Amino acid sequence: MVFSGRGSETVALRDANLTVDSGEFISLIGPSGCGKTTLLRLIADLVAPTSGELEIMGKTPRQSRLDRDYGYVFQAPALLEWRSVMRNVLLPLEIMRFGKAEREKRATQLLDLVGLEDFKRQYPWQLSGGMQQRVSIARALAFDPKLLLMDEPFGALDEITRETMNQELLRIWSQTQKTIVFVTHSIAEAVFLSSRIVVMTPRPGKIEKVIPVDLPYPRDAETRESQRFFELATEVRESLREAH
Amino acid sequence: MRNALPVVLTLVVLVLLMYPLALLFGIPLARRDMEDSRKWLREAATVQPAPVIPADGLSLPEAIASSFGTEAAGVPVMDGTALAPDETAGWVDWLGEMLPEGDSVWTLAQPLPDSFEAYVNEGGDWRHLERGSVPPALPPDGNRVRFTFGGAEGPVLLDGVFLREGEHFELEGAAVTFLEPPPFGSQLLRIEAEYEVLDAETGTLAFNEPTFPDRELRVVADVLSLAPFMQGEVNGTSREFAFPAPLIIEADRTRQVWLDGRLLSDNAERPAERVDGTVRAFTFESDRGLVVLDGTLQEEGRDYARNGPEIEFSSVPARNAQLRQYRDYWLSDPAAGAVLLAEPPAEGSRLWTTRYVYYLRPACGATVLECFFALPQHPVPFPHWIAERIGPFFERYPLGDERNVMRATLYTTMGTVSALLLGAALGVFLAVLFVIFRPLERTLLPWAIASQTVPIIALVPVLLLVLGNFGITIQTSLLPTALVGAYLCFFPVVVSTTKGLRAVEPLVLDLMRSYAASKLEVFWRVRLPAATPFLFTGLKLGMAAALVGALVAETESNNRRGLGYQILGQVQSGSVADVWILLIISAVLGIVLVGAVSLVQRILAPWERRA
Repeated sequence: MVFSGRGSETVALRDANLTVDSGEFISLIGPSGCGKTTLLRLIADLVAPTSGELEIMGKTPRQSRLDRDYGYVFQAPALLEWRSVMRNVLLPLEIMRFGKAEREKRATQLLDLVGLEDFKRQYPWQLSGGMQQRVSIARALAFDPKLLLMDEPFGALDEITRETMNQELLRIWSQTQKTIVFVTHSIAEAVFLSSRIVVMTPRPGKIEKVIPVDLPYPRDAETRESQRFFELATEVRESLREAH
Repeated sequence: MRNALPVVLTLVVLVLLMYPLALLFGIPLARRDMEDSRKWLREAATVQPAPVIPADGLSLPEAIASSFGTEAAGVPVMDGTALAPDETAGWVDWLGEMLPEGDSVWTLAQPLPDSFEAYVNEGGDWRHLERGSVPPALPPDGNRVRFTFGGAEGPVLLDGVFLREGEHFELEGAAVTFLEPPPFGSQLLRIEAEYEVLDAETGTLAFNEPTFPDRELRVVADVLSLAPFMQGEVNGTSREFAFPAPLIIEADRTRQVWLDGRLLSDNAERPAERVDGTVRAFTFESDRGLVVLDGTLQEEGRDYARNGPEIEFSSVPARNAQLRQYRDYWLSDPAAGAVLLAEPPAEGSRLWTTRYVYYLRPACGATVLECFFALPQHPVPFPHWIAERIGPFFERYPLGDERNVMRATLYTTMGTVSALLLGAALGVFLAVLFVIFRPLERTLLPWAIASQTVPIIALVPVLLLVLGNFGITIQTSLLPTALVGAYLCFFPVVVSTTKGLRAVEPLVLDLMRSYAASKLEVFWRVRLPAATPFLFTGLKLGMAAALVGALVAETESNNRRGLGYQILGQVQSGSVADVWILLIISAVLGIVLVGAVSLVQRILAPWERRA
């Protein structure tokens, strides 16, 4: 994947080969400039590849996007400040022409799922950062896509909130059975959440190693303190270091 | 409410600041008024009538001593002519008795002559009553309500009518404020001495205080009087004398100077020939007298040679120089009251005056402060004056009249709001076009900017003229005002709305792309709402601009509706305080209108602005 601009070329991603199975939780981890966000955006058809092929559920990324097969959660909540929490979740449903009763039902369900049923009528600026991200997640799931793409969604939160949000995400994942591709630069987060960790390295961006995570689900605070957790985290850390 | 406190404090400070500013700007003007002798009260000094009428049968010296006292100096006169020392005739020529007509009004029931005196009987003696009144520093003009009378504090007379305090006017110190402005040309006076004439036809006098309940009042046509001597030494050689008071009014022709029973002439004789720069010889009426060239006394023998009525200059007088001859005397220095006689009076002769007119004192008042308060227009008025004018200002015209201030304000408001709606519609339309077609923005935006820099004061008359041809005037429709206002207000709306339409988070655009949303959906659901805070900013600026435009349009038309017209009218002919009131009204209107936009924003677009 080559980005061109202003007379210089940056090779963002090269030779990335990856297969993701349905229902998996995949983390892309690596330092800045390793191409993890680019990979996610390629999947979402927010940017087109300069070479190579991408297939999502047997379709091109473009087709997948037009079919609304995935929901995207950005680094920032990207909520519309003139809409209430409820109406923000309703946004994709309105665009995708769901019926009124159906819209209301789904939005309410999802807000319950993320634990924000009491905040339906609030406006984004009245919520904390974590709560806003939860709205963003609810919105991404509103139209029930099979795939969830998340780009460092908890990056702006403090560690304690982040661990809580991780727990919440795992709960949502187990209840909805989605396939999640999760970008992060936190080793602990990657190990805690994923079934497989894709370690990426920069200059040029490429996949260094894929590490399967054999910790059993459901995972909780105890999991973080287990021996196996520590071993896996070390493995991830070492493969990150190797590339430098 | 806490937000209001700084604003209120600032206002209070500004208002307090106006007091010293008013003095700073007004005192120099007041001082200039005091020093301008043409703005002084004129006083005609005449002979002094007998303070107490002498009894019949006394000799002249006895009469003078009993009435004027033994120290009296002056020439005894009656009817303008000097009395012979051996006169013993009656010292008074009674006209008639006055009858009371009210508290302070007495009437003779017959016309009064031009020259008369009034006397009251006090314990057998007839005491002289002083007549005196003062006109206002500035005459009535149909608009003015506040008058000062050079410090006079007696009753107020308007066109021969005694006015009552509280009913027709209010007093504030020495100033009189009328409830209704006296009409242009009416005669307004304030009694300063003991009485003044109310109506010469019926012989009615108005007195300063309710007086003389049981007394007798009489009018005399003529009475023994003393005429003052001219100041200076009569010794056969001196020719320099002076009037008893300075600041003699040169142009006054009623002046009278007597020398031993002969009235001297101060007639300024002009030469028969034109002073054209070549002529040297001039002919006058008289064959003697003082020759004055351009205000300088010419010396016979040195400057000119005389041959009867003809004189010949040694050097040719300059073209158009002022050449005069004074046969008897010349007012050589009016400011000092100095006169120069052509011939020195012989020793033992008497030189006196029976009448001269001079500048007495500043009409505005005795002190600079009095003159300050008498100023017709204060560049910066005292705030409490403005406050006092507010009531009468609003009540001057009834609501039905289109000159009523509330109606004018309402009209201007409607014009401004229409202008804003028109301008906002145009502005939003252009903004949407600019966002959809970028090249259009690059082409049209410079023109939009240029349109704002052209002074609208030049465009407005043209616009009003064109519309007037179609029968659309400010009198008949809001359109002209709205157009001018819209012209000024569309620009901020365009600029801010364009920015707003583009001010969408890139992530949100990505989000919409991930939903495969159409361009129209993005515009409708994202761009337009995101632009709303920016739009309202533009609307607030536009509202202020629209108000300015509306006021300018109203000012430049000669139709009578709207605040702009009133402001222009007051600036041209009214009081400064009224202009200030109108300005304050305009400012408050602006604040209210912009506040209304904020309120609408709070209702329609309550979300927080992004930082």
